[in-house]
Amino acid sequence: MLFNNLAEILLKGGIAPHHVRRYLAELREHLEDLTAGQRAAGFDGEDAAIRARALLGSDEELAAAMLEQKQFRSWTARAPWAVFLLLPLFVAIAASMLFIGPLVLLGKHYNFLQMGAPPPPLWFQTLAINVVAAANLAVMPLVAALFVAIAARQRLKLVWPLAATLLLLAAFIHSDVSFLPHHKGHLMLGFGSIFMPSAWKTTVEHWPLVSAQYLLTLLPVLWLYRARQRV
Amino acid sequence: MAEDNSFMSGLPELAILRLLQDQEMYGYEIVQAIAARTAQALSPGEGVIYPLLHGLEKSGALKSRRKTVMGRSRVYYSLTVKGARRLSALTSRWSDLNGAVQALMGGALAVQ
Repeated sequence: MLFNNLAEILLKGGIAPHHVRRYLAELREHLEDLTAGQRAAGFDGEDAAIRARALLGSDEELAAAMLEQKQFRSWTARAPWAVFLLLPLFVAIAASMLFIGPLVLLGKHYNFLQMGAPPPPLWFQTLAINVVAAANLAVMPLVAALFVAIAARQRLKLVWPLAATLLLLAAFIHSDVSFLPHHKGHLMLGFGSIFMPSAWKTTVEHWPLVSAQYLLTLLPVLWLYRARQRV
Repeated sequence: MAEDNSFMSGLPELAILRLLQDQEMYGYEIVQAIAARTAQALSPGEGVIYPLLHGLEKSGALKSRRKTVMGRSRVYYSLTVKGARRLSALTSRWSDLNGAVQALMGGALAVQ
């Protein structure tokens, strides 16, 4: 496709995808004008198109002009360590809170989470247990997929999304819910290394869920590895 | 925008800012106008103008908007106040340089 090679050079050079898209869009429009100009000058069909493409500049020339503009480099190109080693944990915690937050608000609204309150009704307990299970199953895989997508989109080395995935797996971000009679029914969001004793306890207790969570978290980076192998 | 000290630095930028001082234009129009006014003396690959336009826009010297004229949608660029100040600075710099070159060539001719 037109400008595919140029797009690859720019993305590999660290130019942010939205700047690449804008550049290519304006180049396409410019090429249309150039082609029309060549036709008006008397060249027909393919001849006009070839002459117009030459006037626009070679891929190397067009790429060099953009790569010179350092301000168009993406953050992932400038500081991949910050994006792939610091952000994943924050994003995973924020995503978990998105799941758990509405539950806490609901519990507070109905006074289910008050100290000494009677155990919440069955509907709330069922809802809370399922939401927490969904959060535990979905958050890490989704966040891993997000960082793999960023790496794939910006043609980054596999090592970065792999590092983000391993970090997520090691951090073992998980939510917990318990309703104890005559105690404060609580929802908890916690994270810690898989090597911590409490994490091992959770792993053993819920091994099918944890295994599924680990497998799903690893899938995106494995997919990227396979996709790159095919290319 | 960062100062570039290479000899030809600022010349394409000066040309763009000067053209846009009069009216808003789109990329193809700017390239054609530069080629016409400089008798093709400044004619790199035409597409290389866009990184320069985008850079000038990012630095605040230009602003852009997409506009449809006679059925064709294009990005039109226009000069900002900051761009006008930049044009004034560049014009002064190139006038000084032009004067210096004229003096140098005049001196060289006198020696011959």
